[in-house]
Amino acid sequence: MSESGSTSILQAVGLRKNYPSGDRTLEVLQGVDFSVASGESVSIRGESGSGKSTLLNILAGLDRPDAGELLWNGEAAHRLSLSELTQRRGLFLGMVFQSYYLIPEIDAIANVLMSARLVGRIGKAERERASALLSRVGLGERGHHLPSHLSGGERQRVAVARALMNRPKLILADEPTGNLDERTGDEVIQLLLEVCAEEKTAIVLVTHNPVHAKKTARQLFLQNGKFV
Amino acid sequence: MPWPLYLALKQLFPSGRISLFTIIATTGIMLGVTIMLMVTSIMGGFGYQIGRMIVDTQGDIQVTASTPIDGNKAAQIEKVLASTPEVLASAPYAAGKVMIEYHKHADIPNIQGFSVEQMKKVLPLERYIIAGSLEDLDDDSVILSSILARSIGADVGSMISVYSPLMMERITQNEILYPREVRVAGIFQIGHQQLDSSTVLCSLRLMQDLYGLNHQVHGYNVRLKPGADVDVVAARLEQTLPPGVRAATWRETNAEFQSIVTFEANMIFFLMTFIILVAAFSITSSLLMSVIRKTREIGLLGAMGGRAKDVALCFCVQGLFLGTAGTALGLALGFTMLHFRDNIVHFIARISVGEETFVKFYQFSSLPEHTVAKNVVTIIVFSLVASTLAGLIPAWRAARLKPVEALRSE
Repeated sequence: MSESGSTSILQAVGLRKNYPSGDRTLEVLQGVDFSVASGESVSIRGESGSGKSTLLNILAGLDRPDAGELLWNGEAAHRLSLSELTQRRGLFLGMVFQSYYLIPEIDAIANVLMSARLVGRIGKAERERASALLSRVGLGERGHHLPSHLSGGERQRVAVARALMNRPKLILADEPTGNLDERTGDEVIQLLLEVCAEEKTAIVLVTHNPVHAKKTARQLFLQNGKFV
Repeated sequence: MPWPLYLALKQLFPSGRISLFTIIATTGIMLGVTIMLMVTSIMGGFGYQIGRMIVDTQGDIQVTASTPIDGNKAAQIEKVLASTPEVLASAPYAAGKVMIEYHKHADIPNIQGFSVEQMKKVLPLERYIIAGSLEDLDDDSVILSSILARSIGADVGSMISVYSPLMMERITQNEILYPREVRVAGIFQIGHQQLDSSTVLCSLRLMQDLYGLNHQVHGYNVRLKPGADVDVVAARLEQTLPPGVRAATWRETNAEFQSIVTFEANMIFFLMTFIILVAAFSITSSLLMSVIRKTREIGLLGAMGGRAKDVALCFCVQGLFLGTAGTALGLALGFTMLHFRDNIVHFIARISVGEETFVKFYQFSSLPEHTVAKNVVTIIVFSLVASTLAGLIPAWRAARLKPVEALRSE
């Protein structure tokens, strides 16, 4: 169970991660316990080097913890092989990054549809959903524009639509406004939280911005590899 | 469409246009294939043309025996040849070496004697006569090859002396045999250095006199009907001809020449493969740069559920596609250039040394060409394999990238 009392879709117990640094070992995560309920919005703040991105990568199954457990929808993700993790990740969660990471050779709608292609689900229904998602993020008329023809804010909106394409249970957003000006950043965060609420998708938002963090239902602060 | 194929095509043709990388990489392979096809076909053309010249002067098959063939054995051989359906015509010959002399200029050429009427059905020698006439050849005349005639200074109508080995044999018996004075009835030019430099043609009767053969012959030149398999017919004749008589194809009798031609063809093919390898390396280098440039995108694909083997496939497909397109275009360009090869050669000759000088020096006005299906298939397979392998190294590198590290890369 999560702190909100609903069923947890993501649960982390005693996560630890160390990195060698010269002669000594850097303890980036020192036993993090964390859970997210279905449809919940959670923000994680912390200083640079506090372990936010490391935690997010472990939660996404992109990195492995040195110790601890990670449950995705009740399934022990920390015991899955890398290929099994990759296979489940495409359907279980969507990711939004600071640098958008859109594929430059394909237009906005193709970028959104790429999520569906990667999990082998591409058809009329998926095309309609991609179109609807783009309209929802305010880019209905710009679906056939290449990323290079879109502004930073518009690119991040496409990335939001792409993250939601496969109706994931969870969105992990790693400082999604880091490359945007304040006003555009506010708009993107507002949109991200609204769309996640509409889709009943949980979101974990890693941010430096306390204003953005306050917009989520639950705020956490990571310091020296632990929540305080 | 599977996503690796979709993304590969999108990277090669972003927004429906052809990327600069696609153009450069495809052009590299295209030029490699074009050059390989042209060089192998033209070299094959020279080899084929020389082969045809040999057939025109020896026939498809030569029937020979270890000792001169007498009347009884000759009748048996002629019976076998007449009953072989693939044989178009055959003619007896006698061959050896003589010394010829004209105005203090001497040479020791090969000599071949034959019945003109019979030989005409087997060998189209009149095609190669450049002075005089084959019709003028009688028992007191010879036809000289062009280089030989030039080297001794003889021309049509010149009287030359012929010394045969029989003269030596007679000297040991205390007899003196004078050299035979013969007239030059014609000069021929095959276009094959070896044949043109030291060959004398004469009547069978004259050759039998010079060698003291009476009515014996050394063998038969055999011409096959078009389409007949030379090797199969020769093998069948070997089984039916009298003991001690063997049938050798023109390739077997010129095995040394054939091995040189094959060696040259293989060496040229080997050297030409480097052109395609260079083009393949350009694909590798471009795709590797693409992998480095797209490191974070590759990480993203992994983060979104893309499997490492599919990421690798995406880059392999690009190599295969570039190879296929380059090969197809290269074959099209190669065959087009082969079709217009003479126009191209004459154009280059016209603007450089002049057409007359070119024809005089090279002794041909048409560039020969002979494209062998096996060579074309080898070029296609080699080009496709090299291009696909060129995509493998970048693909392997892309597949090894861990999403978390790729996303973190600068």
